[in-house]
Amino acid sequence: MSRWVGNEKPARPGRGVGAATRLWQASPLTYLALVLAVVLSAFPIYWTFIVASRSNDAINDVPPPLLPGGHLVDNASRLLANDDALFLYGLANSLVVSLVVASSVVLFSTLAGFAFAKLRFRGRHALLLVIVATMMVPTQLGLIPLYMLMVELGWQGTLQAVIVPFLVTGFGVFMMRQYADAAVPDQLIEAARVDGCSTIRIYWNVVLPALRPAAAVLFLLQFMQTWNEFLWSFVVLDPDTPTVQMSLKALATAYYTDYSQVFAGTAIATVPLLLVFVVFGRQIIGGIMEGAVKQ
Amino acid sequence: MSLRNGPSRRAAVLALVAVTVLGMTAACSRKDDATADGKTKLVIQTFGKPGIDQAVAAFQAAHPDIVVDHQKLGELRDFQPKLVQWLGAGKGAGDVVMLEEGVLLGYLRQPDNFVNLLDHGGGDLKGNFLPWKYQRGLTPDGKKLVGLGTDVGGLAMCYRTDLLAKAGMPTDRAEVARLWPTWEAYRAAGNAFKAKNTGAAWTDSATGVVQPYAMQGGDTIFFGQDNTLIADSNPNVRRTWDYANSLISDGLTAKLTTWSKDWEAGFKKAAFATMPCPAWMTGVIKANAGDEGAGKWDVATIPGGTGNWGGSYFAVPRQSKHPKEAYELAKYLTGKDGQLAVYKEVGAMPSSPQALEDPAFRDSRNEYFGNAPTGRIFADSVRTMRPVFLGARHQEIWESVFMPQLQAVEQGKSTSEAAWKAANAEARGRVG
Amino acid sequence: MRQRLSRLDTTLSPYLYVAPFFLLFAVFGLFPLLYTAWVSLHDWNLLGGHTFVGLDNYGALFADPHFWNATGNTVGMFALSTVPQLLLALGIANALHKRMRARTAVRLGILLPNITSVAAVGIVFSLLFANNFGLANWVLGLAGVDPVNWTAEKWSSWSAIAVMVDWRWTGWNALIYLAAMQTIPADLYEAAAIEGASAWRQFWRITVPLLRPTILFTAVIATIGGMQLFAEPLLLASGRIEGGSLRQFQTLSMYIYERAFSRDFDYGYGSAMAWVLFLLILVASMVNFALVRRGSR
Repeated sequence: MSRWVGNEKPARPGRGVGAATRLWQASPLTYLALVLAVVLSAFPIYWTFIVASRSNDAINDVPPPLLPGGHLVDNASRLLANDDALFLYGLANSLVVSLVVASSVVLFSTLAGFAFAKLRFRGRHALLLVIVATMMVPTQLGLIPLYMLMVELGWQGTLQAVIVPFLVTGFGVFMMRQYADAAVPDQLIEAARVDGCSTIRIYWNVVLPALRPAAAVLFLLQFMQTWNEFLWSFVVLDPDTPTVQMSLKALATAYYTDYSQVFAGTAIATVPLLLVFVVFGRQIIGGIMEGAVKQ
Repeated sequence: MSLRNGPSRRAAVLALVAVTVLGMTAACSRKDDATADGKTKLVIQTFGKPGIDQAVAAFQAAHPDIVVDHQKLGELRDFQPKLVQWLGAGKGAGDVVMLEEGVLLGYLRQPDNFVNLLDHGGGDLKGNFLPWKYQRGLTPDGKKLVGLGTDVGGLAMCYRTDLLAKAGMPTDRAEVARLWPTWEAYRAAGNAFKAKNTGAAWTDSATGVVQPYAMQGGDTIFFGQDNTLIADSNPNVRRTWDYANSLISDGLTAKLTTWSKDWEAGFKKAAFATMPCPAWMTGVIKANAGDEGAGKWDVATIPGGTGNWGGSYFAVPRQSKHPKEAYELAKYLTGKDGQLAVYKEVGAMPSSPQALEDPAFRDSRNEYFGNAPTGRIFADSVRTMRPVFLGARHQEIWESVFMPQLQAVEQGKSTSEAAWKAANAEARGRVG
Repeated sequence: MRQRLSRLDTTLSPYLYVAPFFLLFAVFGLFPLLYTAWVSLHDWNLLGGHTFVGLDNYGALFADPHFWNATGNTVGMFALSTVPQLLLALGIANALHKRMRARTAVRLGILLPNITSVAAVGIVFSLLFANNFGLANWVLGLAGVDPVNWTAEKWSSWSAIAVMVDWRWTGWNALIYLAAMQTIPADLYEAAAIEGASAWRQFWRITVPLLRPTILFTAVIATIGGMQLFAEPLLLASGRIEGGSLRQFQTLSMYIYERAFSRDFDYGYGSAMAWVLFLLILVASMVNFALVRRGSR
């Protein structure tokens, strides 16, 4: 099976034989199906914003309310005044943590991915298998010893505890490796070597630029995942140093939940995600996760 | 693909990382036992809405050498595993922790994780609590006091006046109470209600009647006083089981699972006419039924007159470095003044008989529930309640074994006899 | 000298580059892993003491009907959710791989489920699958079908969970397939079209075989995630860890959590089960991997 190189532009057959052209134009049925898919995908987020703007008992209505109400400011102000949640502080902490982790994961994953894909060294196959295997470890397996470790290091209750263990992920390495394999031509590296470039310069000047789209996607995915992480943060952090997910949980009171407040918070907490999403989303068009294509 | 984009962006990211890490290390706070000026610092960890802010402030005013850090840790279901992990790791738990009564029961199996409050004079506080509430904080042999009681739930019967009226039944709470002085009468009233075809069920689920019925029916439930499993031989358990199943077979329940979305919607949709409710449930009902339900709910005495659902305790983990001060804090918060402050703040019902008699509580009424004298009704439901021996694994055996089996029968997935056998077999398997 | 440095660079750099991962993993990944293995060999109560019991926990779990129930549920739910998910993703990717308006919006749109908060997802789907007042039963009622008690049966609860999982991950998988499809050269399709192959045939004879490695990549990722299902079934159960009145949809992750953190704090037993789960995932993924190696030759 030969390999296709040159993934800059998506293969866009539009000219040539008439029959082929017709096959490549989206039919009305396709449009309909896709619109349906998007509506279903977007509904819960849309509904989040709706509930955020309504009063509390609207949440159980069936059929669900489709139009925004007028309570958004009211719900939001209650949310910000809630001292138990420290919502703004939680937002800030989550921003810091997610940015640092996502950046770090991209950096180290591109380094390691490049090494696995393009450099020759003993044990590369075995080590790669180990990395993939680490992705299969159930999370609960390590919760308590990891917590004890954090206490020993004195990191319990600090942001280090939710950042340092996640500075590199197996998924990131695997993904970058796949992508580098397909997207970085061996010839380019050979040429650079002939020119006398050290490995780090090859990485910096040749590999990184080629990995840019996939790196952007990895950043996006990692940011999202870190932003939405709750369980570990909750175990190791204190309520006075919350992440945004912890703040949202803190809004839930003794026996019933003030949903309108919680969803106002959820809506606000989704906005940074949407922003990152839109900024990096352009990278998703055309030739993203090439790494998944070939081995 | 310009070369300038890649590296310069990468450099920017690295710079960002460096700056943030530096910023973090500067800003990170460490846990200290003592504040800078030598005061003792106590950490109290709670879940839900404990309402102790005023009480804590008052305590600090009275003890200038103590600073209290109140950590609110979210819902019980999130807090509970976290506390377990802290206790298991030997670090991280506060000086005072809030334990829900079901949770407390479980911890009584390993009382060494907590300070024995009897060592600090807890025995003197016995008169400050309802007898059954105090007794539950003790280990079965009575030698260790693990928790001091905070609030209780009490139990009454909340009902919908409009549905009862539709069935031609009385709606005034005194008359309604006369409809069901006993559980059998409750069942008969349910059948009469059903015959009128209002479209609603009599109660939300058969699981709601089990605890009050069993607590009224004997001194023990699943476990004997010596902590052996007697679920299969205790006539109290069998009678309770049969009664709950009779409600199911009579078709009197709405088959709702408590706390599910369906159940919450059930309030708004008038799915059931009555429901055993503790004091704190009135807030839940109001939130779920919303404005449409105003004026349609009321409260009457529960069949049998006594019952309790919910309530918490304060305990002092062994890992605390200031057990004596922690005890003082717990003692204050669970004393009469502390509990009344909590009541004023969040409406939680006190477990102190003195506080229950205080007019601030006793004369309170609930506007949403037809201005019912809820203070009186709920206080009466707990005052004469007899201490029932539950055993450390009671909550587990009820919630994880018998209750799901009862629900299975309710859903039509099992029969009363099959479920009874399965539940007992599983209980036996768990306890050994 | 320059030669020597350069050779050092070539031999050492790879190890340096992959080192960060392994260093971090050694401290924060391996240590907890080994510790848990150690715990699994003990009768270890989270709150009390512990005694060494060797492989007793493992023996006990093989005789535990709840363990087998949870395993069966997990595998069943995994299969039920993964297969339609990947097929649907293939279809959506194929649909997207055409000329159309608002391509970007659609592609971003189907990725929205991944950034929707778990709280919102939980509530929306609880409302959807509620027995008496749920949207699903309401729609079924319109079609004249009896309402389904979603949490009461295995098939219904598994289906509900599959819907939740598929909703979240189909778009993600579709975009991975789409990227792969975009590297297939047009001439293959043009040649096939000239020979008179229909769109359907082209899809199955050209697209899918060339996509095989990608499909198996997504299958591996889906395996890892699917075998650890926890949040979705828990949401369907309204937070009850037993997963249904008769444990109809309790997954292995839930059972581990139940035994270790919420029931009798049997940390040793929970650790043993977690290790068995890990091995299960490992085996399932290795099977997939082997298929990849064979398929792409």
